[in-house]
Amino acid sequence: MPGALTNSSQLANARAGRQDFNKAVSVAPANEPLTNTRVATRGITRRQALAAAVVTGLGVGAIRLLGGSMQQIAGPRAAGTSGWVSPLASESARVMQLLRRTSLGYTPTQLETALSDGYNRTVDRLVETKPAEPPAFAAADTGGGRFPIAQLQQWWVDHMLTTPTPFAERMTLFLHGHFTTDYRKAADNTFVYWQNLTWRRMAMTDLRAMLMQVTVDPAMLRYLDLATSTGQNPNENYSRELMELFTMGAGNYTEADVRESAKALAGWQLPQPDSFVTNGNRRLPVYTAQKSGVFNPRRAYRGSVTYLGKSGPLDTQGVIDRILAQPATATHIADKVAQHFISARPAADLVNRLADTFRRSKYDIKTLMHAVLTSPEFTSDGGYRGLVKSPTEFMIGVARAVGSTSPSKLIASSGSGMGQTLFDPPDVNGWPNNESWISSNTVVERVNFVTAAIAQHQDGLRPAAGALHTHLDGVLSAQTKSLLDQAADDRARWFVTLASPEFQLK
Amino acid sequence: MKKEVGINQLKRRDFLKAGLVFGAGASGLAAGYAAVPDAFARAVYAAKREGVSNDNILVMIQLAGGNDGLRTLVPLADPALHDLRPRLAGPMVSQALPLNSQFGLNHNLAGIKSLWDKGKVAIVQGVGYPDPTFSHFESIRIWETGDPTRRQVDGWLGRTLATSYDSNGHPLTGCACGATGAPGALRDLQATLTVIQNQKTFGFTGGSEVEAAVGALYKGTPGIYGALFDTSIATATETMATLRTSASTYQPMADYSDNVKLVYSSKNQLAAALQLAAELIVTGTGVKLLHVTLGGFDTHYTELSRHDDLMGYLDSAVSAFYKDLAAHGMTDKVLIATWSEFGRRPKENASGGTDHGAAAPLLLIGDPVRSGLYGAEPSLTQLDGTGNLKYAVDFRSVYQEILSGHLGADAGSILGASFDRVPFLRAPVAV
Repeated sequence: MPGALTNSSQLANARAGRQDFNKAVSVAPANEPLTNTRVATRGITRRQALAAAVVTGLGVGAIRLLGGSMQQIAGPRAAGTSGWVSPLASESARVMQLLRRTSLGYTPTQLETALSDGYNRTVDRLVETKPAEPPAFAAADTGGGRFPIAQLQQWWVDHMLTTPTPFAERMTLFLHGHFTTDYRKAADNTFVYWQNLTWRRMAMTDLRAMLMQVTVDPAMLRYLDLATSTGQNPNENYSRELMELFTMGAGNYTEADVRESAKALAGWQLPQPDSFVTNGNRRLPVYTAQKSGVFNPRRAYRGSVTYLGKSGPLDTQGVIDRILAQPATATHIADKVAQHFISARPAADLVNRLADTFRRSKYDIKTLMHAVLTSPEFTSDGGYRGLVKSPTEFMIGVARAVGSTSPSKLIASSGSGMGQTLFDPPDVNGWPNNESWISSNTVVERVNFVTAAIAQHQDGLRPAAGALHTHLDGVLSAQTKSLLDQAADDRARWFVTLASPEFQLK
Repeated sequence: MKKEVGINQLKRRDFLKAGLVFGAGASGLAAGYAAVPDAFARAVYAAKREGVSNDNILVMIQLAGGNDGLRTLVPLADPALHDLRPRLAGPMVSQALPLNSQFGLNHNLAGIKSLWDKGKVAIVQGVGYPDPTFSHFESIRIWETGDPTRRQVDGWLGRTLATSYDSNGHPLTGCACGATGAPGALRDLQATLTVIQNQKTFGFTGGSEVEAAVGALYKGTPGIYGALFDTSIATATETMATLRTSASTYQPMADYSDNVKLVYSSKNQLAAALQLAAELIVTGTGVKLLHVTLGGFDTHYTELSRHDDLMGYLDSAVSAFYKDLAAHGMTDKVLIATWSEFGRRPKENASGGTDHGAAAPLLLIGDPVRSGLYGAEPSLTQLDGTGNLKYAVDFRSVYQEILSGHLGADAGSILGASFDRVPFLRAPVAV
């Protein structure tokens, strides 16, 4: 295993030269109990690792993260409940897992910053940093939003690849799957572009404000038909999914509630265009600036409704507030967030704790996400590699790992075979998660993406020697280890690393 | 058709080696994961020989989103329809293709109408279940698992795959055609199942070198997803080998076209998916349960054009599929059945569409069918408390007839109960 041996000897050199660091800063917080596993696996501290990186230079960034995982590659020891030998006793490993779950992969620089900051400061930075705005999309004022959706997909992918705030993109992607809209039914790609901007801006605000923005979002007004609903003859589509999928979850309201809130929500219409252009025999709307839906009282319901146990006149804000008064709302959202960030099957106790925190904070998303990322379950050994990367996370992660320079076209066009096309979720429930991403078709497509990404950048590939540490925590199956041992060059090492089952997980 | 190649051709040595794979997956099973492994996992069960005794084939077509039954099988003489649907009813009644004085098919179902005329179509009316849910996802799950109490996790077809064998003693094999993920109906940890979006591009772009490397990489993978990963790759590799053989022997004998003008275009290429199904059936790959999906039926708005387009798309794809199978002499064993999570509200809404409903008709198509209308027409004047059609036939009665009558499977154990028969098969297998 040339790569590992090299690392090993470099590590030894680094240790010999920097003995003083051995007793310096421990990776684990001082008050953290050291288990047997931790003692056995700790071989290098964070500061020591950083020092090693300085000594060894670019391309062996892995060294700084070892945290003892060299022993782990030698062969699995006692298997945890997840079957993988958890390296999460090491703070380096915890930081890498944090980035994998929140940041759509990482570059060596991003990793270095996070390792230098440590776990808690990185969490604070992720949650507190204002989302960076993507560059304006040039074709947004095309009549009827009739620019190819592929352009918008590439625009978003480009921003995912280059943004200084990748957590905002991860949250935007999560919200895109939660407050789902597809471009086909939205039928105006400018609306879809606006929605992407709105979801990013509101991602770290509070649920009450978010739900109003979701309700009056033009793409959503089209997608769930609220734009054509009237108080006299309401369309139930938005009313139902607002409760079932966006907030409370099925089983927490009645069919009468669906009908009644359909009345109360009616009256919203699409915004007036700034002008029109003629295309053939069609007049297409042109918008020069982002707009929200407008309320037309003449289409609204006049009278009282009985909704979630109370009767009286009710407007859209009233519907939202009554939904927020239901305990099920925080629980439903906490459960979904936990499935995306912590565990495919989050325990009821964890969900209830997160839901309590979320409710007490008046539905503040920053508070919720901080609680998620600092929960003991987030870094528990049993939860190691317990989540499957979505196709987008996987592809962006590959591109950032190998240093692809212009992969956005490849990424935007490769998601569909893996089950994820941006702006085109399978149905109103958005994308499924975790095990649903794995099938004979999707695994082959993931492998093919790695082949393509490497082929595209054969000359500019980063050295792969450290990849098994920086991307796989040095925790390998016997097969992955064996294939890495046999890999003849960086191309082959990157292929095995990125096509491995380990890399599909987070 | 006794020559079996590929997907379910058992390789015992591989299976024995793969026992380890399944062992690794056991922790996933214990953790409650709905994994979908393949033939290798079945090795553990290969000693059993029970269940199916024929080589019949089932093709399920999911009409996702809730298909409007009243616009599929149109009541021709019920004045209540016009009261409930002032905008939608007129054209659909006047243009319908009459089956008798009471009912007609949607005017875009001309191909299916001609199959009806040849005695190849059965329609079960008023299919549903007690206390219906109007949530897409709850109702889809109920139809997929065959369990309105929502306790069952595995799919009804997945359970069939997992417990049944064909006349050669091979495990039944399933395929989700035109999909990237396994539909819930086919899910079962022990089901032999492959998922193929597009057979023409299904393969490793890196060639045999990559195929070999990946085959070596995905073995004995630890963790809760380990067995799922390993079996997905193993199934994919097996399927590629099968497709290499079948692609060289299969020639489509019908015009499959997805070049359809849809008002709200579907994500699913139904015709291409059915062509893949035909290829797998015609070339004797051993795939017995196939599932395809056509989306876009959630017609809350401008339903008139939208639903007509979907009916036309369904009709052209199914017609081509039947014609192709007939040209290859394969229609005698193949039953085609549609399903949808619910019908739609009899009363139309302000958007020129209809909201979520309940009971609706199912279409059963093919030579095994005894043509005719079954079940009972739901009343348009005696609706339930939510303004929806009351069901007359439990959907599991249809499943039971398919399972026991067509596939010869143990319907009672798969469905967990016994249901009234709906005698839509010409010569049901004695069970």
